Amino acid sequence: MMLSLRLLYRDWRGGELRLLALAVVIAVAAVTGVSWLADRVAGATEARAADLLAADRAVEYTESIPTEWIERAQARGLDTALTAVFPTVVLTDTANRLVSAKAVNNGYPLRGSLRTQPTLGAAEQTPEGIPQPGNVWLESRLLGLLDVEVGDSLTLGARTFTISAILSFEPDRGQGFSSLAPRVMFNHADLASTELLGPGSRARHKLLLAGPASEAVAFTRALANEQGNAVEIETPSEQGRGASEVIDQAKRFLGLAALLTVIVAGVAVLLTVRHYAERQITGVAVMRAMGATRQRVLGLFVGKLLWLALFAGGIGAGLGYLLHYGMLLIVADLLGTALPAAGWQPLATGWLTAGAALLGFALPTLVRLRDAPPMRVLRADLGSGLLRAGMPLLVAALVILALMAWQAGDARVTLSVFAAVGATLALLAAVAAAVVYGARAYARHLGQARLLWLSGFTRRPVTAVIQIVAVGVGLMSLFLLAVVRNDLLSAWQAEIPPDAPNQFLINIQPDEVDGVRNTLAEAGIDTNFYPMVRARLTALNGEPIQADNYDSPQARRLTRREFNLSWTGTLQADNEILAGDWWGDESNPPPQLSLETDFAEEIGVGLGDELTFASGGGQVSAAVTSLREVRWESFNVNFFVLASPETFNDLPQTWLTSFYLPENETAVLNTLIREFPSVTPIDVSSVLRIVRTIIDQGSSVVELMSLLTLAAGVLVLLAALQITGEERRFESALLRALGARGRRIRAMARLEFWLVGAIAGALAGLAATAAGMVVAETLFNLDYPFRPMTIIAGAGVGLVTVWVAGALGARRYYRASPMRLLREG
Amino acid sequence: MASALATARDSVNDSSSAGSPILQARGLGMRFNAPEGPISLFENLDFSIDAGDSLAILGTSGSGKSTLLGLLAGLDLPTAGSVVMDSHDLNRLDEDARAQLRAGRVGFVFQSFHLLPGLTALENVMLPAELAGDSRAREHAASALDQVGLTPRLGHYPAQLSGGEQQRVALARAFITAPRILFADEPTGNLDHTTGEQIIDLLFDLNRDHGTTLILVTHDQAVAARCARVTYLREGRLMADSQ
Ligand SMILES: Nc1ncnc2c1ncn2[C@@H]1O[C@H](COP(=O)(O)OP(=O)(O)OP(=O)(O)O)[C@@H](O)[C@H]1O
Ligand SMILES: [Mg+2]
Repeated sequence: MMLSLRLLYRDWRGGELRLLALAVVIAVAAVTGVSWLADRVAGATEARAADLLAADRAVEYTESIPTEWIERAQARGLDTALTAVFPTVVLTDTANRLVSAKAVNNGYPLRGSLRTQPTLGAAEQTPEGIPQPGNVWLESRLLGLLDVEVGDSLTLGARTFTISAILSFEPDRGQGFSSLAPRVMFNHADLASTELLGPGSRARHKLLLAGPASEAVAFTRALANEQGNAVEIETPSEQGRGASEVIDQAKRFLGLAALLTVIVAGVAVLLTVRHYAERQITGVAVMRAMGATRQRVLGLFVGKLLWLALFAGGIGAGLGYLLHYGMLLIVADLLGTALPAAGWQPLATGWLTAGAALLGFALPTLVRLRDAPPMRVLRADLGSGLLRAGMPLLVAALVILALMAWQAGDARVTLSVFAAVGATLALLAAVAAAVVYGARAYARHLGQARLLWLSGFTRRPVTAVIQIVAVGVGLMSLFLLAVVRNDLLSAWQAEIPPDAPNQFLINIQPDEVDGVRNTLAEAGIDTNFYPMVRARLTALNGEPIQADNYDSPQARRLTRREFNLSWTGTLQADNEILAGDWWGDESNPPPQLSLETDFAEEIGVGLGDELTFASGGGQVSAAVTSLREVRWESFNVNFFVLASPETFNDLPQTWLTSFYLPENETAVLNTLIREFPSVTPIDVSSVLRIVRTIIDQGSSVVELMSLLTLAAGVLVLLAALQITGEERRFESALLRALGARGRRIRAMARLEFWLVGAIAGALAGLAATAAGMVVAETLFNLDYPFRPMTIIAGAGVGLVTVWVAGALGARRYYRASPMRLLREG
Repeated sequence: MASALATARDSVNDSSSAGSPILQARGLGMRFNAPEGPISLFENLDFSIDAGDSLAILGTSGSGKSTLLGLLAGLDLPTAGSVVMDSHDLNRLDEDARAQLRAGRVGFVFQSFHLLPGLTALENVMLPAELAGDSRAREHAASALDQVGLTPRLGHYPAQLSGGEQQRVALARAFITAPRILFADEPTGNLDHTTGEQIIDLLFDLNRDHGTTLILVTHDQAVAARCARVTYLREGRLMADSQ
C-alpha cells in the first residue's frame, strides 16, 4: 500500500512515531543480536563437541578397522582417519615408562587440530599433518620422566623412533581416568612394524568420520546393524557435557536480557502509540468525513505499521548484526576462528519481532481509531474517550508472553520472568497510587499555595502513577541487569572458587597415602584423600544383573562397566540429600549406600534397593538409604556411589586426591612422580581456565545486552514525558499568564520529577531485588542476599535519571510563553 | 411554515437539471440523552435542495446547526426521520456505506479548519484525492492551491500559515475532489471580518465554477445573504427568511 507508506513518511517527518520506531529497533536489535550470536555459537559448540571426538562420528572396534569399511565410508563422500590407542612401555637407554601409545594416519584429526612445540618451553604451533613415519611426538611430561629431549630416540616394541616434537594438545584426548598415561603419538603406517598388536592386544581402534551428516549417520547405522555389539558408535553429543552446560547457562542469561529489552521497549511502544493515536483522532474523523470507510482507515494504519515493521525490523536486525559482532569480539578467543557463517534466519526473526511488537503493542490501540466518529469534525468533544480501553494492555501482555516463550523456549523461564514483571507492575501501581494519593491529601491539608499542591505530582495523580510505573519498570529492568545481574554472576562465579582443584592424583596405594600427604604438605598443600574401589554391579535385590535386562544402551553400558565407589562419614558441601537420610556422623553406621540421583534414575534404582558390587574376588551388598544431588561445577572429587565407612573395606582400593596448584609451582609434581611412580597426576587447569573465560566473557556479553535495555528504559521515560508534554506546556503558559515566576514553575516541575524518580527508583530497586531472588533461587540455584542498599541507591538513581531526562525532555514545554494560550486557544 | 416554503421553492427550482433534489430531509428529528433526561434538539424538519443550489442555515449558538449539518452530510443518523442524498436513504446505509457515498461527492469546510498539522498545505489538499486513489493527486492539489492563490505556500505546514490561509487550504482541499455538495460550518467563524469576506468570496467563486451545491451554517447575516436560500433554525424549527 503506497498510500500508507506516504502517510507513514509524513508522520515520520512530523516527528510522530520516532520514539515508537526507536523502541521497535531496540527490541529487534536485542532479539536478533542474541539470535545471531546463539546461531553461530551453537554452530561453534557443535563444532567443538566434534573437536572432542576429532570427527563428526567415530566407530570403535576391538580389532583393526577393515579396509572395506574405510572404502565404504569414502564411497559415501566421507572423510576418514584411523586411530589406534593402546598401553605399552617405551624404552630409552636408561629408562622405561608405561605410556598410552596412539597411532594415527593422514587426515587425523578430522575436526579440531593438534598443537605441538618444537622444544620444551617454545611457543605452541599447529603442525601440518601428523608425525612422519619413523618419528614420534611425546607429551612434555614424558621428556622429564624419560630424561630425553627432542631429537633423541626411543624404542616402541620392535621399532626405534626419533622424537621430532612435543605434543601439547590433542583434541580427542578425552577426560576421565582412562587416558591418563602420558601420550606417545606416531604414524599409523609404523603400527605393524612395532609388532605390538598381536592377538589379544588391548588396543582401541577407531574409524573417524567427517562429512555430510546424513551420510555419516547412514554409514554408522548400517555398520551397527551388521556388527551389533562389536562396534560402538560415538557421536559428538556424548562428548564434553560440562562445557555445554556452561554455554547453556550463558544462553539463559542472554535470553533473559533480550526478554527484558523486549518488555521495556514494549512499554515504550504502548505509551508512544497511545500518544500518537490520540493525536490522530481528529485526522481520522476528517478522513472519515471525506469518505474513508472504517476498513480503509484500519487498512491505512495496518499498512503504516507493516511498513514501519519492515524498516524498523531491518534496521534493528542490522543493529543486532553489529551487536552480535561486538559480542563475538568479546568471546572471540573462546570460540576460535572456525565460526559458521552468519545465516539469514535472524533477519526474518527481526521482522517477526518488529511485526509482533507493532501489531501486538501498537495495533490494538490504533484499531480503535477506525471508530473515530466523523461528527467530531463538527463537535470536537466527540470521540475523546475513544482510546480508553483495557484491551490493548491485555493484548500486550499476551504478546509479551508469546514473545518471551518464543525467545526463551522454556516455559519456566518465561513464566517466572512474566510473573515477576506482572507482579512488579501491580506492585508498582499499588504502591505508587498509595504514595501519590497520600501526598495529595497531605498537600491539601498544607494549603493551596504550597509547591507540593501545585506540582503536577499531586495535581495529576493518575499521570503521576502512570509515570512512576513506567519509569519504575524501566529502572527495574536496568537494576535487574546492572545490579542484580552482577550479584547473580558473582554468586555464580563464587561457585567456582579461584582455588578450585586443578590437579588430580589417582592410583595412590593405601600405604602411599601418608607419604603423598606429607609431600604435598611440605609444599604447603593440605587436602583430602578419597578411597576408591573399582567394582562391577552384579546383583540388584539379590537378582543377578544382566545387561540384557536394560533397554537403554546407556544403562546397559553402565551395568557392563566398572564403577568408582567411595565411602565417607561426612557429606561434602557440594552434595545435597534429596531423599532418604544421610548416615550422619554416627561412629559405626551399618553398611549402606548413597546414590547420585540422576545415576540412580538411569539404572532404575531407588531408596531401599539392595545393590551388590564385586571387585577382585570380593563381594559386598548394601541397601540404598539416600539419594544425593551433586554440584559437579565445584570441580571437587565426587562419586556416583558413596558408601558408609567400612562398607567396602574388604575390596581392593586405591586413593585419590585433588588440589589447587598455582600455575608456576609444578615442582612438587615432579617430586611426587619421582617418589611415587605409580601415582598418576592429571592436570585439569586448562579445562578450568576455559570455563572461567566462558563465564567472564559471557558476563561481558550480557553487559552489552543490558545497554540496550537501558536505552529502552530511557525511551519509556521520554515517552512518559511526551504524553504529559502538552499538558505541561499549557500549565506553564497559564501559570505565567497568572503571574507565576519562571523559577517557581521550574521548582514545581523539579519537585514532581524528584518525587516521581525517587519513588519509581526505590520501588524498582525493591522489585529488582525480589525478582533477582526469585530468579537466583528458581533458575540458577544460587543464594541471593537481600540488600537494602539496592533500594536506597535505586531511589537515588531514579531521582537523578528522571530529573535529568525530565529537565532535558520537558525543557521545551516550560519555555511556553503565555502567548501560546492566545494562539492555540 | 418553513417546510411549506421550502417545498414551494423546490418546485420553482425543480426545473434545474436533475429531476429529484440532491439532498432531502424528511421529518428530521434529533434528541440526546442528557443527564437531566432526553433533550429534543429539533423535530420534524422537512426541506430539500436541488443540485447547484445554495442554502444558508442561521441560528443562535446551541440551536443545533452543526448537528443538523452533520445529519445532512450523513456523519450521524437522526433519531427520527430520514435524509436522502442523491436518492440514497441514509438511514438504510451503515456507517461505511455512508462514507462511501460521501467519498468524492461531499466536501467540508470547518470553522476550525481541521488541517492535519503534520502535513504541508499541498499534502493536506492531496489527501482526499489520494484516498480516492487519484494517481495525479499532487498535480491536482497544486492546481487547487493555485486557484485559492496559495502557490507560494505549498510546502508550508498549517502552523506556519495564518488563519485565512489555512481556511483557503481547507477550501482547496474541499474542492479537489469536485464534490457535488459542499458543507460549510461557520467557515469564517475563526477569522477577522476582512479575511472572512475574502474567504466567502472565494467560497462562492469556487462554488459557482464547480456548480457545487452549498449548505452553509453561519452566524453572519451578510454571509447568509449571499446564498440563494436562507433558513433559520430556531427552537427546533426551520423558518424561512423573509428576504
Ligand atoms: N452527541 C451529543 N450529545 C449530547 N448533546 C449534544 C450532542 N451533540 C450536540 N449536543 C447538544 O446539542 C446542542 C446543539 O449543538 P450544536 O453544536 O449543533 O449547536 P450549534 O447550533 O452548532 O451551536 P454553535 O453555533 O455554538 O456552533 C448543544 O446544546 C449540544 O450540547
Ligand atoms: Mg456549531
